[in-house]
Amino acid sequence: MRYLMMTMRDDSQATPDEKMFAEMGKFVAELSAAGILVASGGLDPAGVEMTYTDGEITVTDGPYAEAKETVGGFALVDVRDQDELNEVARRFFAITGNGVSRVHQVFG
Amino acid sequence: MTDAHRAIDAVWKLEAAKIIGGLTRMVHDVGLAEELAQDALVAALEQWPRSGVPDNPGAWLMAIAKRRAVDHIRREKLADSKQAELARDYDEKEQPQDDDVLRLMFITCDPVLPARDRAALTLRLLGGLSAAEIARALLTTELNVTQRIAVAKRTLAARERSPSADIPAVLEVIYLIFNEGYSATSGDDLMRPGLCLEALRLGRMLATLAPTEAEVHGLVALMEIQASRQAARTGPNGEPIQLHEQDRGRWDPVLIRRGFTAMLRARDIGGTPGPYVLQAAIAICHAQARTSDDTDWARIANLYTALDRLLPTPVVRLNRAVAVGKAQGPQAGLALVDSLVGNSALRDYHLLPSVRGDLLEQVGRHDEARLEYERAASLTRNAAERAFLLRRASSIVLVTSGPTLGEAAREFLERSDLDTATLRSYGQTVRRLCRALGEQLPLASLTADQVARVFAAAWPGAAARTWNRHRSAIRSFAAWASVPDLDSGLDRRAEPPARQDALDPLRLDLVWSLDAALRERTLWRLLHESGAAVTTVLSLNVEDIDVEDRRARAGDTWVTWRSETAKLLVRLTDGRARGPVFLADRRPVPARMPAPQDICPETGRGRLSYPRAEYLFKQATRALDPAGNGYTLTQLRSSERP
Repeated sequence: MRYLMMTMRDDSQATPDEKMFAEMGKFVAELSAAGILVASGGLDPAGVEMTYTDGEITVTDGPYAEAKETVGGFALVDVRDQDELNEVARRFFAITGNGVSRVHQVFG
Repeated sequence: MTDAHRAIDAVWKLEAAKIIGGLTRMVHDVGLAEELAQDALVAALEQWPRSGVPDNPGAWLMAIAKRRAVDHIRREKLADSKQAELARDYDEKEQPQDDDVLRLMFITCDPVLPARDRAALTLRLLGGLSAAEIARALLTTELNVTQRIAVAKRTLAARERSPSADIPAVLEVIYLIFNEGYSATSGDDLMRPGLCLEALRLGRMLATLAPTEAEVHGLVALMEIQASRQAARTGPNGEPIQLHEQDRGRWDPVLIRRGFTAMLRARDIGGTPGPYVLQAAIAICHAQARTSDDTDWARIANLYTALDRLLPTPVVRLNRAVAVGKAQGPQAGLALVDSLVGNSALRDYHLLPSVRGDLLEQVGRHDEARLEYERAASLTRNAAERAFLLRRASSIVLVTSGPTLGEAAREFLERSDLDTATLRSYGQTVRRLCRALGEQLPLASLTADQVARVFAAAWPGAAARTWNRHRSAIRSFAAWASVPDLDSGLDRRAEPPARQDALDPLRLDLVWSLDAALRERTLWRLLHESGAAVTTVLSLNVEDIDVEDRRARAGDTWVTWRSETAKLLVRLTDGRARGPVFLADRRPVPARMPAPQDICPETGRGRLSYPRAEYLFKQATRALDPAGNGYTLTQLRSSERP
């Protein structure tokens, strides 16, 4: 089962220090070796919005929603079941501290 | 399961290998290591709901389990000071060692265990699966899995040498698990993806533990790429879709990329490619082809030729024939496939007639193609695949005249002038003939040559007595169906006196520890302690027993036994004064009423039959027998007496 975890941007969070980087690096390496972490990345806060109307594409800067409403990073994970998903998320947050993630199962 | 249960279970599956591996290093016994780990899980269940899951749950579980292990070692007291020293050592060495998990794999994949038990034990100890989950994965009962695992652990504990598994042995078990999930040999679903995932996880785990082994990366690459086709392999109704007809857009690019990465690692290590690397290379050829027409069949055929040299199995040869058929045309493929017909290892392998049917159809031999599809359908145990093969068969219209082999066989076996035992024996032979040649074969076209080939493929190593039994069945069938000389290609064989291997003391101990019914345990003990013939022992009556002298009169001989039998016999015959000692489970049906001396006057049940007693013993000992067949009662009675 694959899930897309989108972690919401949180400016109140401590800036990552060396220790957190090291821990996160180890965590990512372990999950990748087990095949649990499929892909991950951070997102540029400056995005564009594309709108398709009657055959025409419009690209606008933005959206400028509240910072905490935007996605800061994502991880695509391949897990046995939802319980394993919970455990993976728990380990992630144990490293990064308080935060919010939106998670959807990926079909197909 | 409660939330806490589920959270702990998820942690357990991720950490089981490391924890049990570390504990096994301490206590030198996987069975005990698992018990200690279970204790730690119970502790987690008590504490985590209150305190929350600890930041490093694996280390937490390991710490608790280690404390229990040290307690255990101390409690055992092993006045042996060396042991105490070891225990102190472990107190200090908190960190698990990298080799622990690899060593655990070598233990669970020890060839001393039957193949399926190796798979079950590996899933249990390295994948952290529960008995219920393993039972679901291997399509058996939870009780069966629990018993198998218990026997496996005891076998390992009783073994005196160190584990004899190596990397290739571990790869074999992992690929066995993968294949059980990928091409389910039985059941209604073609795949059990959960099992494939477990195998992939095990393979990836092994790849981090043994990164310099090219074959490990080869197996991982092979599994990743095969798994990438999962979604495309079955149609909406679960029917199989062949590789060349699959929608390649549904192949999973993530798994393909992982497969490529693993393959690159294998190549970087270099050396002569082993069987898994070669198979992965073949899988990669398929993955690289954008459409099935783009497939580089010449390269695949070459890879199969190389594989055939390392792994000359009939299945590899069959795949090679498919590739050659694609690369050089169906006629060339058919020539290779025809050389495999009659190979005894493939006699029940449905893909042989399936491939042959496909090639025959391509060269325009439609009648034969249809027979082959039907035969393939009758051989597969997978429902979706059977339906698919029957559809292919029915798409070919066939013209026949006169009765078919199948019709003649059915009529022959419905005769009323033969007794049931004879008919059952004839049935085995005639049905084998139908399975091998196809029920639709016109009886008139059946030849002695075909019969001889079926015999050579079906019973190559059969004992002379078995061979002769099948031979006389054919003679009887030929006479009845007025097809003369069907047996002309079959020689009668000289029958040597029967002799079977006795059970060694270790196997015997495992037999005694089986959880069997009182009647079975009594019969087995009696056979072993008396060494008397099975028919003699089954013919004993309660009134013949001399409890005091531990013996019974049987015809003109005496059957004698010792204390174990004596204890059991008293309980088995409790409250009965007369009649057979060993009784059948049910009362006989009126149509098959045995002679009065074979019926218990008190319960009305009949005497236990030899075939039934033999069947039960075989079933019960199947898990103990590395060959997976189970033992015979004759082997038991001829084992060394206590």
